[in-house]
Amino acid sequence: MKPLHALQDSARDEAPSAWLADRRDQGLELFDELPMPTSDEEVWRYVDLDFSLDDLSLPSEPGAPMSDGDYRIESGARAVILDGYVTSATSDEQVVVKQLKDAAPEQLAAAEESAIAVDLDRFAAAHYGFGDDGLLVVAPKGSSSSRPVFIDVQAVTPDTLSLPRILLLAEDQSELSVVVTFRSPEDDTFHVVPHVQALVGDGARLLLTTVQAWGYGTTAIGQQRAVIGRDGFFHHGEAGIGSRLGRLHFSVELAGPGAHSEISGLYFGEDEQVLDYRAFITHKAPHTTSNMFLKGAVEDEAHSVFTGLIRIEEEAQKVNAYQTNRNLVLGDAAGAESVPNLEILANDVKCGHASTVGPLDEEQRYYLMSRGLDRVRSDRLQVRGFFEEALNRMPHSELNDAIRSAVNEKYVRAQEEGRQ
Amino acid sequence: MSTALAVKGLTARVGSIEILKGLDLEVPFGELHVIMGPNGSGKSTLCHVLMGKPGYEVTGSAMVGGTEVLGEPVDKRAQLGVAIAFQYPTAIPGVTLRELLEELADQRTDGADLGARVADAADRLSAGPFLDRSVNGGLSGGEKKRSEIFQLAVLQPRIAVLDEIDSGLDVDAVREVAEAVEAMRNPEIGVLLITHYNRILQYLSPNKVHVMIAGQIVRSGGPELADELEDKGYAGLQAELGLATEEEPVDEGDDFLAGL
Ligand SMILES: Nc1ncnc2c1ncn2[C@@H]1O[C@H](COP(=O)(O)OP(=O)(O)O)[C@@H](O)[C@H]1O
Ligand SMILES: [Mg+2]
Repeated sequence: MKPLHALQDSARDEAPSAWLADRRDQGLELFDELPMPTSDEEVWRYVDLDFSLDDLSLPSEPGAPMSDGDYRIESGARAVILDGYVTSATSDEQVVVKQLKDAAPEQLAAAEESAIAVDLDRFAAAHYGFGDDGLLVVAPKGSSSSRPVFIDVQAVTPDTLSLPRILLLAEDQSELSVVVTFRSPEDDTFHVVPHVQALVGDGARLLLTTVQAWGYGTTAIGQQRAVIGRDGFFHHGEAGIGSRLGRLHFSVELAGPGAHSEISGLYFGEDEQVLDYRAFITHKAPHTTSNMFLKGAVEDEAHSVFTGLIRIEEEAQKVNAYQTNRNLVLGDAAGAESVPNLEILANDVKCGHASTVGPLDEEQRYYLMSRGLDRVRSDRLQVRGFFEEALNRMPHSELNDAIRSAVNEKYVRAQEEGRQ
Repeated sequence: MSTALAVKGLTARVGSIEILKGLDLEVPFGELHVIMGPNGSGKSTLCHVLMGKPGYEVTGSAMVGGTEVLGEPVDKRAQLGVAIAFQYPTAIPGVTLRELLEELADQRTDGADLGARVADAADRLSAGPFLDRSVNGGLSGGEKKRSEIFQLAVLQPRIAVLDEIDSGLDVDAVREVAEAVEAMRNPEIGVLLITHYNRILQYLSPNKVHVMIAGQIVRSGGPELADELEDKGYAGLQAELGLATEEEPVDEGDDFLAGL
């Protein structure tokens, strides 16, 4: 085990690139300066951080991997990140998958454009300060691979902190498809701060699905950022079905004219889970479009939060941006917050949001029961239908069966155990 | 032999508004009855009260095949043989009609029979366009009506109530719908068709026509009653019966879009 405080002064492997070296220095400094966030701060309002990063240690080596999970898919290129260590990385004919330390310097340099801010919060500082290696996935210029790259991120050594890092680079006019699943054993305690950053080049397409299937003892403070170039397309699907505390800060920047992003997702909280989604969509260039569609449900004493900010900068005219967040609250002690925000500095834009929080629909229940379905089955069908709309928009439909059953099983189990 | 539907002294109120005011009605097995009435007379409320929709205070009696259904939960009433083709059927996003019927087949002990009826009725009523789409989602007005009739054909209830199944349809569609209703008739089912137009009646041979005004059946007769109504209008009939003419509610009439 490597306690963070001991790491602060010890000799380390050289950082994989100059910008990562810089950020390591800054991260260490900021980690010292910044206090742990508290729920007094607006952005951490719904989160009870019952631990301090200072008390945590990185595992000194990767633990034993878990067996194949439910979300494994057919793929060519693939990689495994265990306890923050890249333990395997396999390229295919099209896509380069490498440890950062083995990557070409110019590719690593290019990736800086989509770097996550080191001063985002103390977790980002810790990630840069203490994280060493990472994974780089590159679709070279003009290459086109529709076969997804499968990245299996696991935390397996209990009572540790891991800092998995993934850099995705879809070079100009390329097509890249990536599925990342995050897993940990069900019962032990894990802390994870994963970073996923993506650069979508001019005219490039990136399809990315992230499945948060962490075990129930895991606190995952995820940070993601995507930057999309001219006429680039980013389609991101997110499924939040695990963890005790799952926070995801993700930002998408439409940096080049004509860039388009499509974000779809679903989450389901049970027991005492807290799922906290912070979305930042920034339109920096004209003629850019973005659409976000997230659906969530909470039961038992679970709590979900969605805060979404669409920001349209002054020079970003002729922009079209929309976000939808719909939440089902399935238990009296469960709660959901949905806070969409718009910040519009340009004057020729189409922009809007829709947000709902509520119980199952009485009219739908009545209609279904009028066909003879009992209440339990009617409600089950309604919950299933609720998520179907989100599933239909996910970028990798081959994952839908597994995601659909994970979500629906939670509700069915609650019904069977009389919690619904 | 018991009747398909026997309603006695049925009242229904929502808060302080009394909508059904002591309604009596009998539909024997094997018969097709028609209820005609102006907008706002309580026809759809009658459907919901028979089906057990929450939100109404109800008194009186409604027997289906000799069994009291008032007080039973909605699904129990469906199992006892009540089925409604709703005037404004609710959309169930993300659930296809096929999935709904599969779930029902899974629940019912006669699931296999139900499955067979789905296949048969799908063929007969060309259910293709809506069986694999989400229930009442993105369907045209006519498709919604056909989807409702299709479900009734599959459910084989004891009393089938069709609420303004002809509104908003073009002439050909009305004839098709009427044919589907006639095809539903058999000695084990009573059919109650609610409409406010004569149009569909020319393709049907009802046993009886009832006129409903302000929450009551004010007159019952043979098919000729529909023609009489055509001549006199509801107001004329009300005057003849010595009933106070209430304020005519706004006629949303043919515009089925209003309720979508
Ligand atoms: N839930 C309700 N709350 C208040 N008034 C209602 C409700 N449902 C129906 N009504 C009123 O009862 C009357 C009858 O409505 P309805 O049964 O829909 O009539 P019809 O189907 O004959 O047009 C109308 O005046 C309507 O506004
Ligand atoms: Mg009506």
